[in-house]
Amino acid sequence: MAARILLWIASAIALSFGAPAALAQSVVVDLSHREVAISTGFTGEELLLFGATEGSGDIVVTVTGPRREEVVRRKERVAGIWVNGASMTFPDAPAYYRVAASRPLSEIADEKDLRRLRIGPESLALEARLPVDRGAVGEFRAAFIRNKQHLDLYGSELAPITINSGRLFRTSIPFPANVPTGEYQVAVFLFKDGRLISLETTPLRVRKVGLEAQIFSFANEHAPWYGAIAIAIALLAGWLAGVVFRRN
Amino acid sequence: MQIYLPIAEMSLDALLLLGLGGMVGFLSGMFGVGGGFLMTPLLIFIGVPPAVAVGTEANQVVAASVSGALAHWRRGNVDIRMGLVLMIGGFVGSTLGVWLFTFLRGIGQIDLVIAISYVVFLGIVGVLMVIESTRSWFRSRNPMAPRRKLHYHNWMHGLPFKMRFRRSKLYISALVPLGVGVFVGILAAIMGVGGGFVMVPAMIYLLGMPTAVVVGTSLFQIVFVTANVTFLQAVNNQTVDIVLALLLVVGSVIGAQIGARVGSRLRGEEVRIALGLIVLAVCARVAWTLVVTPDDLFSIGLGGRH
Repeated sequence: MAARILLWIASAIALSFGAPAALAQSVVVDLSHREVAISTGFTGEELLLFGATEGSGDIVVTVTGPRREEVVRRKERVAGIWVNGASMTFPDAPAYYRVAASRPLSEIADEKDLRRLRIGPESLALEARLPVDRGAVGEFRAAFIRNKQHLDLYGSELAPITINSGRLFRTSIPFPANVPTGEYQVAVFLFKDGRLISLETTPLRVRKVGLEAQIFSFANEHAPWYGAIAIAIALLAGWLAGVVFRRN
Repeated sequence: MQIYLPIAEMSLDALLLLGLGGMVGFLSGMFGVGGGFLMTPLLIFIGVPPAVAVGTEANQVVAASVSGALAHWRRGNVDIRMGLVLMIGGFVGSTLGVWLFTFLRGIGQIDLVIAISYVVFLGIVGVLMVIESTRSWFRSRNPMAPRRKLHYHNWMHGLPFKMRFRRSKLYISALVPLGVGVFVGILAAIMGVGGGFVMVPAMIYLLGMPTAVVVGTSLFQIVFVTANVTFLQAVNNQTVDIVLALLLVVGSVIGAQIGARVGSRLRGEEVRIALGLIVLAVCARVAWTLVVTPDDLFSIGLGGRH
């Protein structure tokens, strides 16, 4: 929901300085799948995003995962060992974020405009929960992005978008095996001469399916039963092993 | 063959997990220990979140202990009365332990406390084990050396609530086994182990139980205490991964049977020296993770419960 509101805001900003007449219908977009399904053999997946523009321009795609509360902790050396010390909480941080573009971002638009449109990890609205040490926010924010990139949940570099015959474009969006579940937003921006002329958004869902989904939801919704079943399975397995090997 | 673990929320090679289970099972069968103290650090090393490793290991130890406990039960090697007193202590301790675990997880210190517990307890037990078994190894080569007294009278014997434990031929205060149970229960919950490596020496040296009933009674109470930990971790922290536990169980029950056969051909002291060295190696490996400067001083985690 928060992501949707942000996109509304982004569109409103876009309208205020873009070329309003051309905004509607100048980009069409689709995804190879509307859903990433996590099942037993899931080791990650790549979705293909493709579309067409009316006339030429620069394309930027952002994929933003569900927002949730994330904590960044800094280790400090205490009596020779590394201990988690100061921490900072980002209550509304995207669990996943990636940017793809047809050219380097600096050639597409002004840094100020990119920031306003939340393009690029540095322009994500990562607000720390108060009270906060203002001087340290930058460092913690950078550490958050770096750790996310290390987990492959944030893109480390700008992913390429290929444009064919000036109008058809495509890019792939990778989802690693540790991808968080939830609602994702894909936003496709069309720039021309440094100005945003169109913004198209499409939702995407990442969810667990099959046995994995059932085990996960059962563990969360019926935790006492889940615990009891886990114990029962263990008792049965141990007993069975004893019986089988005693015969041999 | 990659398999997605629904609670750990990651995919790992199923054959790797079966192999780990088999290897740890082999050692646990050979040495007659639960193997939790080896498995939990190994799971953390391969990237399983520490909280999930601990919760899941408690579940695996239930399976690993139950067949041994049943075998000892049939042979009459379980002091049921002592087992029940230890178990009551264990329930109290493990409940406290899970509560402490949840609290530490909330303030972001659980990984540290797990690591420190491993270093401290494996260090102490490993050193004592190596010293004790080396001594008795030398003694077995020199049968004329004087034997140690088996039983001491000390402060413990002045405590109230004395109980008679017929099977162990003991008349001691129930507070001592109760205290041992509480202590081992806390460790079981925080370290994801059965606690046999603390329980067995405590039974021999502190309570003075005859060795014949020590292992059976220890396994008997471990089944109940780890079942309690599994239940409470599942309810409070949702950190028990059934799929992961099952893979480890399959590997470890097979490995344990092979290990037990190999172990029965080895000499007691040599086996204990080897086990002591393995314990110290794990201790050193965990200690290393505490002192080495991390690649990134910052780490991220989810806030609140996930």
